[in-house]
Amino acid sequence: MSNFTGTLLVKPNAMSNEHNRPFRLWYAVGGGIALALLTLICFRFQANSTTVALLYLVVIILVSLRSSLVPSALVAIIAYLCLDYFFTAPLFTLGMNQTLDFVAPIAYVTTAFVITRLMFRVRKSTEDQRRAEEALRRAQAEMAHITRVMTMGELAASIAHEINQPLSAIVNNGSACLRWLAGDSPNIAEAREAAQDVIREGNRAGEVITRIRGFLRKTESEKASMDINQTIRDVVILMRNEAESKGVTLQMELTNDLPAVLGDRVQLQQVILNLVMNGIEAMTSFSHQKRELRIRSRHYESDVLVAVQDSGVGIDPENLEKIFDAFYTTKSQGMGMGLAISRSIVEDHGGQLWVQQNDSAGTTFQFTLLKQP
Amino acid sequence: MSEPKPLVFIVDDDEAVRKSLGSLIRSAGLGVETFASAQQFLASPRADVLSCLVLDLKLPGLSGLDLQKRMAELDIETPIVFITGHGDIPTSVRAIKAGAVEFLTKPFRDQDLLDAIQQAIERDRNMRQQQANIAELRGRHESLTPREKEVMNLVVSGLLNKQVAAQLGISEYTVKIHRGQVMAKMQAESLADLVRISEKLVMTRPKPS
Repeated sequence: MSNFTGTLLVKPNAMSNEHNRPFRLWYAVGGGIALALLTLICFRFQANSTTVALLYLVVIILVSLRSSLVPSALVAIIAYLCLDYFFTAPLFTLGMNQTLDFVAPIAYVTTAFVITRLMFRVRKSTEDQRRAEEALRRAQAEMAHITRVMTMGELAASIAHEINQPLSAIVNNGSACLRWLAGDSPNIAEAREAAQDVIREGNRAGEVITRIRGFLRKTESEKASMDINQTIRDVVILMRNEAESKGVTLQMELTNDLPAVLGDRVQLQQVILNLVMNGIEAMTSFSHQKRELRIRSRHYESDVLVAVQDSGVGIDPENLEKIFDAFYTTKSQGMGMGLAISRSIVEDHGGQLWVQQNDSAGTTFQFTLLKQP
Repeated sequence: MSEPKPLVFIVDDDEAVRKSLGSLIRSAGLGVETFASAQQFLASPRADVLSCLVLDLKLPGLSGLDLQKRMAELDIETPIVFITGHGDIPTSVRAIKAGAVEFLTKPFRDQDLLDAIQQAIERDRNMRQQQANIAELRGRHESLTPREKEVMNLVVSGLLNKQVAAQLGISEYTVKIHRGQVMAKMQAESLADLVRISEKLVMTRPKPS
């Protein structure tokens, strides 16, 4: 938790130090060229001095919008000099002879100054906003990782069992293999079979570990083409024991010919895991006759829908939307981040996550995922 | 080998564990029958031979402890060796108090399991022996005439021949004859012996069903 707070506070500060934009000299050069062209054309067509003054003002405004104070001021001064030299009488001399000679420099410099200041503020605030968003996104990824680790902590018993089973089969098979080989008439066939089982169970334990490692990986979103049914199966394998120990039967009803979706496997595992764990907890918090959790996948127009249906206590209708808020929780030991993160993950995938009460008992959480284009 | 191979029943929901246990136990020269659930074990007919049960604590549906309780209710006296993934002390105490032979935490040493199985089979053998003895005694008791049974009951309750005669309204001599018959038929060598036999018969009287 302290790690998380640190991220929120420290990172934006660290980033605002590098707030120096490159010197926008090129805009000033561009402005100079524009002035020269304008001067040439206007002089050729003998435009009157007021028209030229206004056209110069347009150039100064454009340069100021893009550039910083010094280049804009430079352009403003050059513009004034050109105006005075080429267009206000007496021609080809510099000097304050007419009203325009006084008004133009004031208007030019004021415009350059005001516009560059305004633009500086606008740029700074959009920049700040962009950084804040960036920081938020990182914080969310961090948070998702933390909850995933916490979820795994809660699942530790189930995982330990999942690994201990193949492990004890390996030990048994190893002992059996040695025994079949011992003595005067070793039974090679039995020994071979036991040895093969050792290998198979070793692989089984390895798969469980790979799956856990996938869950614990700390990554930014990495979307790839994936089969949502496989993700559901992975979660069910990890949760099976947890469910059984709480007397809950997990049922899968998966549609086979679903299109592939574009998604981050680890994040979507996290969403399904959250929904399944919530469902199990909803059914165990009260004594219940029927504890059944159904996980379905099906077509949803041209996309894919996953539904997790429990027969638990249900949700108070007035809290139905609140449950997606961060830090809203009804559990004694919850952070209230699970559903908030799940929703942000699903929305990041272009889908939607919503909840509805079942006709009979319990609730159904469902989310959609876009099919891979 | 005059008696058939002792049989080990295995109840574990994990197929790989079940199979590996089977191989290990067969390698020790014992017979094996496996079941995936407690219900399956209860439902299938089991041969009435020397046997024991290797039982996983954590099973879907009826748990290991539930099965132990159910077996006690059904008078199935097969000794139980519990195996479990994560043994906590209260559970193991409960299991042992309810009569389990041993409580092993997976993964265990093969010798630990085989020792426990051997011990369980010994227990089954003793139990069977005792039951056979009781049956034998009961058979002898059944061979007594009603009058002889009456005499036996009074004698073992500590009455003298004279008192027995008075209570039954027969002569002391007749009592002596009956008493001799009782001692012979029950194969008792002394009065103390007869008292012991009588106690066994009373204690193991079949429950009214």
